[in-house]
Amino acid sequence: MGAMTVDRADGRSVNQLRPLACSRNILHRAHGSARWSQGDTIVLAAVYGPKAGTKKGENPEKASIEVIWKPKTGQIGKLEKEYEMILKRTLQSICLMTIHPNTTTSIIVQVFGDDGALLPCAINASCAALVDAGIPLKHLAVAICCGLTEGGSAILDPTKAEEQKIQAFAYLVFPNSPLSILPSAPSAEVDGPIENGIITSVTHGVMPVVDYFNCLERGRAACAKISEFHRRSFESQVPGDLTKAT
Amino acid sequence: MEQRLANTWRMTNNEKKFIESVLASDLRVDGRRPFDYRDLTIKFGREQGLSEVQLGQTRVMSYVTSQLVQPYRDRPNEGTLSIFTEFSPMADPSFEAGRPGEFAVELGRVIDRGLRESSAMDMESLCVVVGKSVWSIRVDLHIVDNGGNLIDAANIAALVALLTFRRPDCTLGGDDGQELIMHDAEVREPLPLIIHHLPIAVTFAVFGEGNIMVIDPTHKEEMVMGGKMTFTMNSNGDICAVQKAGGVGVMSSIIMQCLQIASAKAADITSKIKHAVEIYNTERASQKANHYLLEVANQVSLSDVIMKEKQVENLIEHLAYMPLDELENSNQGDALAVDTRTKHESISQGRYTRAFVRGPANWDPYSRGISSRLATSFPTLPGPSTKVKEHNVVTSNEMTVEYTVEHTTGASSSSTRVLGAPAVRPHSKGPKSLKDAVKLRTRRKSGN
Repeated sequence: MGAMTVDRADGRSVNQLRPLACSRNILHRAHGSARWSQGDTIVLAAVYGPKAGTKKGENPEKASIEVIWKPKTGQIGKLEKEYEMILKRTLQSICLMTIHPNTTTSIIVQVFGDDGALLPCAINASCAALVDAGIPLKHLAVAICCGLTEGGSAILDPTKAEEQKIQAFAYLVFPNSPLSILPSAPSAEVDGPIENGIITSVTHGVMPVVDYFNCLERGRAACAKISEFHRRSFESQVPGDLTKAT
Repeated sequence: MEQRLANTWRMTNNEKKFIESVLASDLRVDGRRPFDYRDLTIKFGREQGLSEVQLGQTRVMSYVTSQLVQPYRDRPNEGTLSIFTEFSPMADPSFEAGRPGEFAVELGRVIDRGLRESSAMDMESLCVVVGKSVWSIRVDLHIVDNGGNLIDAANIAALVALLTFRRPDCTLGGDDGQELIMHDAEVREPLPLIIHHLPIAVTFAVFGEGNIMVIDPTHKEEMVMGGKMTFTMNSNGDICAVQKAGGVGVMSSIIMQCLQIASAKAADITSKIKHAVEIYNTERASQKANHYLLEVANQVSLSDVIMKEKQVENLIEHLAYMPLDELENSNQGDALAVDTRTKHESISQGRYTRAFVRGPANWDPYSRGISSRLATSFPTLPGPSTKVKEHNVVTSNEMTVEYTVEHTTGASSSSTRVLGAPAVRPHSKGPKSLKDAVKLRTRRKSGN
């Protein structure tokens, strides 16, 4: 199956992502904030750093993470609660939970535009916001959406129109590999199973096992690129307004 | 929860006393005069009906949607307008998620009164079939950053969103002439809402004994103030709404004075809004026209790689094309996956079009600590293709379009680019190198 045989509405190839943009330190009151956009999907995430106390039911011997998802319009329903839960668990696995016990870190996600791959965009935005707030992390969580067309070919970063047409798609979150800065290193020969692992995988629709693994491979390769972009955007950041009123 | 109370931000006594005492000499903490507004920035989203307003440090996003519903029984020929305010917890650590608190309700009510009771919007034009279906307009206001004076900012955001919102055209048709057909945007141009005038809210903060007034308080001034008054007026000099809920008593002579000032400010803000919306509308109209004329696709094939280019129609301000070349050792040899796809819709409209910028660049959110979008050409993917028996092994990965960001100087000068005619910048074909990137950047800077 040729890579170019799938005709995508906006002219991308199967492995091509939409243009990425990330701006950090946008809000004045929040401790950390980031706006991440993939094409027309735009998400603004804000982080309020460790606040005293944990919610009822949370383990007070560890830090806890609270995620609030705000859709663009409408009431908060089950879908938003599901996104909150997935985001919370994903971020819990990358934050160091034992550093600040009995504290709550709040991450608020506001959807500014939804054109497919909303949850991956939100995960990427939240990670950028956490970095902006200075919350210590083990590694970044880099997310991508991978869809499966009827022909069996995997397309990356589908738009909303594409998501509705295709047979199945998966949101995949991979850890940020620290070796990605080496230019000539061939893919994935890093130490430890952690680097090759998947943090989160959410699928919609039916896909055969072989195609799912294919999506994983594509997704991992694309995430390596996104994490490069992440790093570059952090490095090139001019230290902005470091004085923040609480 | 007591734990939450521990997190509330409290002002120090020094700050409080300083703000109060300095106001006696007509000075404000951020250097403004008592009756000066902060800088107003109005931005639009790609969708129609989405707006983002920044008033100093306060940011509000507004989104307008419409739906066909049954009208109220006592008003069978009028549409409905509903305003939902969201004090997002991201705006202020003291905002709680969940049910709107009293300030959120008050804000929603003031804006609602200003729009509805002054008949700013024409509700009868929203009627489709009397007694059966009318348009219900829903305005969602999201407070994203609380820097003080939320009412004014939210009001402007709501007005801008309503002015740029377009509802689908629908006609009666079908077999029996009773069926409602909604027309797609492609088929029939969507219609704007009919808005007769713009009610602008102007908020005053009262200090001292009720004799010191300042306009557009910041959130620190709001913590110190004795009371607050909001006047909603339009540029014709009509008072649409007045809100003063408790607080320090103010003499009627001072209220009259404030009304005069509010009237002048309302006229000023109205002209800014109209200017911004006009620019946005003309840009959108020209985009539609250019979209079909200027799209040029050049296809050049290099071994197994397809390279495409398209022309950029508009230069949105910090849009600089800067590709980095990384020739990798790949199985395909000289494979150069560079896709200079700067398709206008996905790039420029993915970000907010800056239609209107006023004031010094340090209020510009986009110049503050924005990372550049970097373009990278990605090497071909060797791995997965070997597993799937694909003949064409080369796949070009994404190429992001980037920007360089002019951190402090660029914003105000580059905004003039947007206000002028759309500039078309053709991109040269062929492999790009880092030199080109650097050159382009300096060229832009010198152009500024």
